[in-house]
Amino acid sequence: MNPVASRRRPSGDEAEAGTRSRQCLPIRAVFRIAGILWLAAAGVASANPDVERGRRVFYATGGCSCHTNYPGEGDDAPWLAGGRPLETPFGVFYSTNITRDPETGLGGWSDADFIRAMREGLSPEGRHYFPVFPYTSFSGLRRQDLVDLKAYLDSLPAIERANRDPDAPFPFSWRAALVGWKWLNFDPQRIEADKDRSDEWNRGNYLVRAAAHCGECHTPRTLTGGLDRSMWLAGSLEGPEGERAPNITPHRETGIGSWSIPDLVWYLEMGLKPDGDDTQGLMSEVIEHGYSNLSAGDLAAIATYLKSIPAIENDLRAK
Amino acid sequence: MNRTTLLTSSSLIRHTIASILIVCFGLSSAVSADDLENDSPEVKYRQKVMSIIGTNMGAMGDIMKNHLALPGHVAVHAGQMASMAQLIAPAFKKNIASDATDAKPKIWRDWTKFEAAISDFEEAARNLEAAARGGDAAAVGAAMKALGKRCGNCHKPFRRPKEESFKNKPRNHDHDHGDGDE
Repeated sequence: MNPVASRRRPSGDEAEAGTRSRQCLPIRAVFRIAGILWLAAAGVASANPDVERGRRVFYATGGCSCHTNYPGEGDDAPWLAGGRPLETPFGVFYSTNITRDPETGLGGWSDADFIRAMREGLSPEGRHYFPVFPYTSFSGLRRQDLVDLKAYLDSLPAIERANRDPDAPFPFSWRAALVGWKWLNFDPQRIEADKDRSDEWNRGNYLVRAAAHCGECHTPRTLTGGLDRSMWLAGSLEGPEGERAPNITPHRETGIGSWSIPDLVWYLEMGLKPDGDDTQGLMSEVIEHGYSNLSAGDLAAIATYLKSIPAIENDLRAK
Repeated sequence: MNRTTLLTSSSLIRHTIASILIVCFGLSSAVSADDLENDSPEVKYRQKVMSIIGTNMGAMGDIMKNHLALPGHVAVHAGQMASMAQLIAPAFKKNIASDATDAKPKIWRDWTKFEAAISDFEEAARNLEAAARGGDAAAVGAAMKALGKRCGNCHKPFRRPKEESFKNKPRNHDHDHGDGDE
């Protein structure tokens, strides 16, 4: 970790585990101990940042597709240079430049800066990011995966393109309001292994909940824009760019309960549904630029996890 | 209420407070649905053409993803898709975008692009047919992926997205379940 950034904050892990002010003391103590154990484990397991491992994390996120303006500028859009409009119920937000350009992108960021952005939704200057950037999910990413991902992003070409302010009405354009939003809706994730489940299931759980951030589109939101976790992955009418994000729980009639594990793997690899139809919208992009490049093992892990979650009846076609 | 109690208050209370504030701001949305007109025979036919293509695609998927021991079948399906591709443009020649259809008016405005996208699709189907006859699994997978992308290259500009599909809207009559996939 960059020593300069470390001085500014104790460390991403420790801060996250120990200083959530609204948790009561016993919980904080437990988290603090867990954090110390986590740091100890990470210290043993951690390796140097690795570009190739980072590429795999990048694919698991869906190729960071929101950061390329494919809809507006086509396949030749400046890769990962942002500027893509994301239409949410709260206004239009524009994705940011995540190339290593020093002026307009992430050039000059330390690992600690990157980890803080991904896990806490804070810029290096301490500004809150709008939650259209799914740090709510990415907070569950392991430290090693984050530094690997940064190493991969750093290996890609720098593109100069300035970020754009949102076209959103007050108070949704107001970053200070995000303090309240985070208080309501943001609990950093800590994805622990479930010893009663297979390694494959645990891998799938981690991929779906953290890197692949499936819930950000496929789980409906509350009035305040937080995820309605009682409806985990049961579909949302207000997915990204105003698209409907289908129910992907194993509910037979309204979800994807009729899909087998090979159906799911094939879908994420090829973008083709069991009936032979192709995929529309942002999902087709995150498959093409991301998930389709994952290993067969990771795809099977995602499928295994998705088949295991509670089936929820939610018929979006009827709404 | 001091700061600590407020901060430790339950999620329910936090969300109740926020919900009240939001309702006060009057955040709401309305959805309107268009009424459907009757189906025309041209629309029903072209939907069947697209449906046959989609069924071939799904059948190839069944074989490949489940490793069914059906040598030669993928090549037959791919060849059939290439043949069916030649029927698409004539089937869509008549401009009907107002019936129970997901065809966008853009098809007839950008007819040349529509035809070009169909040609690309036919070429990709022929490539898959050749790869399947060759028998190299990696080449078949790559050709399959390329073919799937060609489906999307035409569907994205020219077919209404699923959330706007006529199939989601209330029907005046029930004789057709709208399996056509145009």
